[in-house]
Amino acid sequence: MANAQNYFELYRRSSIGIALTDSLDELITSGHINPQLAMKVLSQFDKSMMDALSNQVKNKTQMKGHLHTYRLCDEVWTFIVKNPQMKVDQGELLTSDKIKIVACRNTEGNPFQQPTNQPANSAGSK
Amino acid sequence: MNTTLKLPDQASKASDSMPPPSAPVQRPQPAITPQAYGVPPTPQAVQTPSHADTGMTHAQNIVPTLQNIVATVNLDCRLDLKTIALHARNAEYNPKRFAAVIMRIRDPKTTALIFASGKMVVTGAKSEDDSKLASRKYARIIQKLGFDAKFSEFKIQNIVGSCDVKFPIRLEGLAYTHGHFSSYEPELFPGLIYRMVKPKVVLLIFVSGKIVLTGAKVREEIYTAFNNIYATLLDYRKP
Repeated sequence: MANAQNYFELYRRSSIGIALTDSLDELITSGHINPQLAMKVLSQFDKSMMDALSNQVKNKTQMKGHLHTYRLCDEVWTFIVKNPQMKVDQGELLTSDKIKIVACRNTEGNPFQQPTNQPANSAGSK
Repeated sequence: MNTTLKLPDQASKASDSMPPPSAPVQRPQPAITPQAYGVPPTPQAVQTPSHADTGMTHAQNIVPTLQNIVATVNLDCRLDLKTIALHARNAEYNPKRFAAVIMRIRDPKTTALIFASGKMVVTGAKSEDDSKLASRKYARIIQKLGFDAKFSEFKIQNIVGSCDVKFPIRLEGLAYTHGHFSSYEPELFPGLIYRMVKPKVVLLIFVSGKIVLTGAKVREEIYTAFNNIYATLLDYRKP
């Protein structure tokens, strides 16, 4: 069984992750919880995010744009797309100057399975 | 110019009797003249030395287009590929699959394979100048990442060209008479593989009349190889 260490921490930088971290900080400062508990909560958050994105989110996203930069290092793809045009479930068109896509190997479940890249849209417009 | 209007089947007679074409012919790389390479005139072009000047061939206006140039460079410095992959743009490094960083630039549009030994392979350039310029750009990127990269032993390893003679070819007949140089196995590959000895160039000849020439170290070998084969292709033109 995979440990908490096996989960990516990249979702901590998302809006929901930052909000959670801030709340935990506040609780630690006010003395309601200890830092060990906060760490445990964050590890659970990593796991839950991964689980939620791979098993519960069924939305399809379309994206068009100009690929400005790409990188593959340590099995993590990074893409910077300029002038992206995104549609979530055929909904309204979302645009931005640029977007950074970080895609990690999916470690959920069988580690020997085919790598399915799971996109995580961190950092919207910059 | 009348030379631009000639039909392919008149070519062999035409180059004997026609005055040398004086119109400047559009070359892919006007900066490089064949004279710079000291290329002897090809047998077909003997009567009209200016053919060599303009890069024009026996097949009047058909000049093979360079499609790919592969060059190697020695940066003469050990490289930490992970650092390069992490800091350079448009780089891929997956040591489980391939022990080199794959990097691309947009101008000249090329791809480089960068090895930890400091050796680099640059592919995709369409001209010798572009190949060298791209290689220098890659070397500069590596330098900027803090490595003591030099630019040494630049060498063009392969040149690929292609052209279209615009008539269909009987490959079986060609394979039969040029059996020594030809390999035609339509069940394996639809083209005829012609291994020319001088210049040492491999030609892929397709029924459609499209030709791919590869294995040359200098562009003149591509041109000479095409000149050499053109008359033969005319002989095996499909009726």
